[in-house]
Amino acid sequence: MTAPRPPKPPSRGPRATSPGRAPAAPPPARTARELREATVAARRRARPETDTNPLRQGLRLERVPDPCAFVLFGATGDLAHRKVVPALYQLWRTNLLPAEFSLVAVARRPYTDKSFAAEVKASVEKYSRVQPVDEEAWAELAKRITYVQLDFGDDDGFDRLGDRLDELDKERGTAGNRLFYLATQPSQVTEIVRQMGRVGLDHELRGSGWRRVVVEKPFGRDFESARHLNHEVQKVFRESQVYRIDHYLGKETVRNLLVFRFGNGIFEPVWNRSFVDHVQITVAESLGVEGRGAFYEETGASRDILQNHLLQLMALVAMEPPTSFSADALRDQKLQVLRAITTPDYESVRGNIVRGQYGGGWVQGEPAPGYREEPEVDPESETETYVAGKFTIDDWRWSGVPFYLRAGKRLPKRATEISIQFKEVPLRLFRDSTGDPAPNVLAMRIQPDEGIMLRFAAKVPGLGLDVRTVNMDFAYETSFVVDSPDAYETLILDALLGDASLFTRADEVEAAWAVVTPIINAWAEMPAPNFPDYAAGSWGPEEGDALIEREGRRWRRI
Amino acid sequence: MAKDLTAPRPVAHSLAEIESQLSKLWARAAAAQAAAAKAEAATVAAQAQAAARAAASLAASLAAAQEAGVGAGAVHHVVARTSVLNLVVLAGDQATAKRCAAIIARTASRHASRSLILSAADPEGEPGLEANVEALSLTTATGRTETGAETIFIRACGETGMHLASIIVPLLVHDLPVALWWPNDPPLESHRAKRLLPLADRLIVDGSSWSGNGLEILAQLASAAERRSLAVIDWALLRQSRWREAAASVYDLPDLRPHLGAVRRIDVEYATDHPGDPDGSTNVVRPLYHVAWLASRLGMSVHDPLRREPDGRRVATLRQRDHDVAVALQPGGSELPAGSTIRVVITSRLRGTDLVGEVTAGDRDVDVTVRDGGRDRVKRTYSAPRLNDVDLLSLSVEENAADPVSVQALAMVHRLLGAESSLRRAAARDRSEQGD
Repeated sequence: MTAPRPPKPPSRGPRATSPGRAPAAPPPARTARELREATVAARRRARPETDTNPLRQGLRLERVPDPCAFVLFGATGDLAHRKVVPALYQLWRTNLLPAEFSLVAVARRPYTDKSFAAEVKASVEKYSRVQPVDEEAWAELAKRITYVQLDFGDDDGFDRLGDRLDELDKERGTAGNRLFYLATQPSQVTEIVRQMGRVGLDHELRGSGWRRVVVEKPFGRDFESARHLNHEVQKVFRESQVYRIDHYLGKETVRNLLVFRFGNGIFEPVWNRSFVDHVQITVAESLGVEGRGAFYEETGASRDILQNHLLQLMALVAMEPPTSFSADALRDQKLQVLRAITTPDYESVRGNIVRGQYGGGWVQGEPAPGYREEPEVDPESETETYVAGKFTIDDWRWSGVPFYLRAGKRLPKRATEISIQFKEVPLRLFRDSTGDPAPNVLAMRIQPDEGIMLRFAAKVPGLGLDVRTVNMDFAYETSFVVDSPDAYETLILDALLGDASLFTRADEVEAAWAVVTPIINAWAEMPAPNFPDYAAGSWGPEEGDALIEREGRRWRRI
Repeated sequence: MAKDLTAPRPVAHSLAEIESQLSKLWARAAAAQAAAAKAEAATVAAQAQAAARAAASLAASLAAAQEAGVGAGAVHHVVARTSVLNLVVLAGDQATAKRCAAIIARTASRHASRSLILSAADPEGEPGLEANVEALSLTTATGRTETGAETIFIRACGETGMHLASIIVPLLVHDLPVALWWPNDPPLESHRAKRLLPLADRLIVDGSSWSGNGLEILAQLASAAERRSLAVIDWALLRQSRWREAAASVYDLPDLRPHLGAVRRIDVEYATDHPGDPDGSTNVVRPLYHVAWLASRLGMSVHDPLRREPDGRRVATLRQRDHDVAVALQPGGSELPAGSTIRVVITSRLRGTDLVGEVTAGDRDVDVTVRDGGRDRVKRTYSAPRLNDVDLLSLSVEENAADPVSVQALAMVHRLLGAESSLRRAAARDRSEQGD
């Protein structure tokens, strides 16, 4: 029986993202909205001389963010306190935010500007990657914090927010530029966006400044809900105003993957089906659900990791070289890969996709409870905490090359790695050697110990002809002492600068769901899984190993 | 010299505690490394020395030192380096050699390199050389060990000191970039420089340490950079990076950007030992670089080159679009070391309104104020600590030596100092040397 396949994403209509070949003349505008968009686009294409500052050439940033208000919805939540505000503090401390900057914190709980600033300072002291906190820098940033209490369903509250932002434009010189960051529950996104549209917070009228919205993952929970969410967001904001954040894409090593592939000439000739045997991508976590049982019950590994992190990494590995590093040129190429992934049907899900759930065990020398024993988790839960799969890409470059992806919680260690496993040499000249040289591997470690490793064969010194496999290792920490920015710092700065390269486009999200939704649907039709099926602290269920071993391959020992 | 960084060490009870202790251990090591102005880095796990009396025996000494260094390391996983270079230091005297060695040792974990530190000893004595070799085996935060840095100390005696290129070339690691570091006044017009400069991919100098006002050497440097396509890293210019960021911020507000094309005055005030700098002997390389950078970035040309006024100021006239730009380097009183920049003021005029951007700097911060028609528009303090010698050396090997901003700033210096006449002189000299 075949699971119903979600419809292919619609072809790009006027609302879908433009393909990024900006110089081509757009078709004549037909509606008032199209006319407005065409005017805005034309204005952007003709960048006046005053848009650039020649004194910035050669400095850290050749452009700095415009004066702006950073409107943080869900400001009292965990994400805001752990990631967003510490990232803003770090950007402020390193002089990367403009003096005319305002942080407008929006949430339901009652706070004053001062009491919110005091509370969020404690979080910065706890979570900032640079300690101790620079008191002077914090004091300056704290002066720019404004708290607005509102319920997301409250019309009056949004009216007040709009008025407050207008006042800040005058008081703080934020010039009408506004970045709305939705660090809220996913279920609240639609309502907040609707309210913003009602109040007109999305409007980019001539001279009134830019408006952007940052949306956190998950972007829906299947293809239909993602399409619905995109539709609701795009009712209010143009796609070019929307920044869907997947923090993995802001990690230094992920960005280096692009430099590695397209900044070095020697790898491109072998980056294809003629030389690559298979690709493995692993996202392993040693932690469990860490008090987020209710959230995880609704998501599972396939929604939490496979649909976004794993498929994004796969797209970056497999994409064709973009013609430029502009946001849309890059995202067009990723989209091509996502659309070329073979959509799994019921049978292939049964044969090529493995799910698992951890039971009790030991992780890093400490006992760990099983998933079903975690707080807020159904004792009969069928939510997968492990997923592994074999995927293929139907294009000329990768046809026939399997991509093995796996992700899991409570695995022995935290590690994310991409490894390109090359084919064996056509003739094994050294088969009489005491050692059997393994095929070449190029491994890119995303975390921890960020770096790149190339494995190759070498002769053991001596009279005989013994061959051993050796590793040539590039480690970030030994080559660059400069601190890497946190992914949130990178991505927030990019959003403030209007650079969407590292953000996910609506059609990418839908294409990724088009791969994952049939898997989820097929599982729903299959008999209940025999969970738990792997012990916390192991590398997942036996079926996960069997998935790759039956084809004569093995997961890399990470 | 090996150093035990592990004591005192409390007992760990979990992996997390072990990781936490490791993290604290290496943070402490890094802090110690930064704080101690010692030649030995805190991360040195093994060090070996060998002495040599002739160039031929240096390579063998180096191999012995490397072997001893690797052997003494507890961990044998050698990590491949991705950034290495030959660093040749023309120290001149022993004191400078010692100072440079200390700086190199503190950058070794960041930029493993082969360093040759050359100094002169007994110029009237018998020709010959004395050398010491050190190999530093460095341990990284994750416990891997790697043989990272090698330092060769060479003291050239007698006539040997006149033929340094013959010593340097055989000792360079092949196929790696060569940086030539001339920490004191570089005799750029000398016979020695003509032999040594072609060996280098980049020349590292510190214009702010040159004797006198520094302008003569600066003119030679600018001329050499243009004539020989020499990639120059001048610490005097690197030190200004924090000033540049602040000065650029004057025009970050979109409505102020049109002022970039309407600059009327550039005033740079600098510190002197004697009020008014009566004999004009204060080093003005850094103040001049501010002007050159601004002029080159803002599309200005030199109308009247720099000249000294009776009141001690140095003035020039630049041209931007259709208007003149008055330039003044003004000596001023300050507790800062002589030659340090006290203040940069950029004045522009647009539609009858003056915009005045003023930048000042302290040890840790840079302050910017912008007044638009007499009204305060921007007042901001940037956290931007002054760069120390270790930072500067690290940046010197990291920076793109062909950075167009530096190249154009140096070319502008050349014009500000009356490039045309000096270029003609240099060209004539080149022609006469070729004729010889």
